[in-house]
Amino acid sequence: MTDRVPVLSETIDHLFRHHSGQMVASLCRSFGFDKIDTVEDAVQDSLIAAMKTWPFSGVPVDQFAWLMRTAKNRCIDSLRRSSKSTSIDVDENFELRSENNELIGASFASEIDEDQLQMIFACCHPAISPDSRVALTLKTVGGFSVGEIAHAFLAKEDSIAKLITRAKSKLRDSGVRMEIPTPVELPDRVDSVLKALYLMFNEGYGASTGEALTRKDLVFEAIRLISLLAKHPVTTSPKVDALAALFCFQAARMPQRSDHNGELLILAEQDRDAWDKRLIARGLHHFRLSASGDHMSDYHLEAEIAAIYTLAAAYFSTDWRRILTCYDELQLRQFSPVRELNRLIVLGELEGTEAAYKRLLDLGKELSNYSLFFITKAHYENLRGESVLAVASLARAFELSDNDSVKRFITKKLAEITPQHP
Amino acid sequence: MPNYMLLLHEQTSDVSQLSPEDIEAVIAEYMAWSAKLAAQGKIRGGEKLRDEGGRHLHGFGDKFRVTDGPFVEAKEVIGGYFTIEAENYDEAVRLSSDCPHLKYGGWVELREVEPTGE
Repeated sequence: MTDRVPVLSETIDHLFRHHSGQMVASLCRSFGFDKIDTVEDAVQDSLIAAMKTWPFSGVPVDQFAWLMRTAKNRCIDSLRRSSKSTSIDVDENFELRSENNELIGASFASEIDEDQLQMIFACCHPAISPDSRVALTLKTVGGFSVGEIAHAFLAKEDSIAKLITRAKSKLRDSGVRMEIPTPVELPDRVDSVLKALYLMFNEGYGASTGEALTRKDLVFEAIRLISLLAKHPVTTSPKVDALAALFCFQAARMPQRSDHNGELLILAEQDRDAWDKRLIARGLHHFRLSASGDHMSDYHLEAEIAAIYTLAAAYFSTDWRRILTCYDELQLRQFSPVRELNRLIVLGELEGTEAAYKRLLDLGKELSNYSLFFITKAHYENLRGESVLAVASLARAFELSDNDSVKRFITKKLAEITPQHP
Repeated sequence: MPNYMLLLHEQTSDVSQLSPEDIEAVIAEYMAWSAKLAAQGKIRGGEKLRDEGGRHLHGFGDKFRVTDGPFVEAKEVIGGYFTIEAENYDEAVRLSSDCPHLKYGGWVELREVEPTGE
């Protein structure tokens, strides 16, 4: 078959993912969170029905209404079949929300946001582990498939499927409902959501694992969800804005983290003009909003670090002193070896190679399986003229890395150290 | 110009696990294919046939017998059809050759419609 239509998956806008998440949330709100399995099956059925009929009939003008009607009918059918009662308790506003959406326009959009927020709170309930919250949220709110989630986490599909099943039954047992938490519960429940979104973002942003495309989708899903929280008058807070700012600043630099050959670029090598200006502007917006109240959260400090990195006109004009202060404060609150590594790189910029290298060696035990530790170590060893040590460190880094672009980066660094004609 | 019918035979396969993303991509491919034919004024129409609930009718003299079928369990069903316009079989084959149906495990039976009229 020559002349085939190219696969369009790069150009599609994830509309079905979003529709799927919106439908699951909206139907769960109508039928109850405990019916989530039935709801998810019905939503999947509606998408399959679209795939089978739209190629012949054409795409309906209001796709979402078509899918929603189909999913709702299947849901009612299957609930009728499973319970003997003929009357199904459906939210009386349901028809209005799902079918006359073109009539109500804006208020319909805010209803959808409300559905999704309630779903986020249900899926990120503190009763389940942060990992489970991320997987479940991606599945039900984000419309990601188990396969896609497994890809992003470099996990087996089976284990992700089990994780999600267990999480759902735990939530059902705990009697979790679709609602915005009461003012008393709200701070803890928001924290539980933020922790999950932070994980989701880092899973996507971290350079260590997973398939590039899916990981990028995770990053933008985390941004979409934090924006929902930031936009809603009840759930927004300076802390929410701080995390939103952090996400936007980090994501803005994403397109430049590798060159056109997919090779990793370190910060100093990146083309700052190619960073995403719209995301930077969004980051600044949230960053400004976060600067109120009297509580400085960890997210505030991390957002500030990201802001300084992102807003510096050039690498050499980065305000290292201010970044170091933020790192110091974070480390005082809770020490993290990985963050210490980042702190030492900043320290190196301020106080020189020797100071950073000495402290780096103290981290060796805690980060003995961390590829980036050895890459950093090699960097300083090379600067100190100890090329044999540097080569050994890079070799160790290579061994520990499971990511091809990181491995190519290490190979490139190795070539820079070892003379070509010894 | 003669009309040709593309009868889309499909092997019934389990599509229940496709992700929303996959499903969107499949639809987009079909729409791109039919849009391309429409732009050339080549497509006449198409309809989806229901997968289940069909009937087979057989006549015996002045009696007939009705059996149900095809079933969902059937290995192969005609999922639907498109009608296109083409100069001849060569062109009809060329126009059908990038129908996404071929990519997704189905096969196409291409038949020229006998023209009626004078």
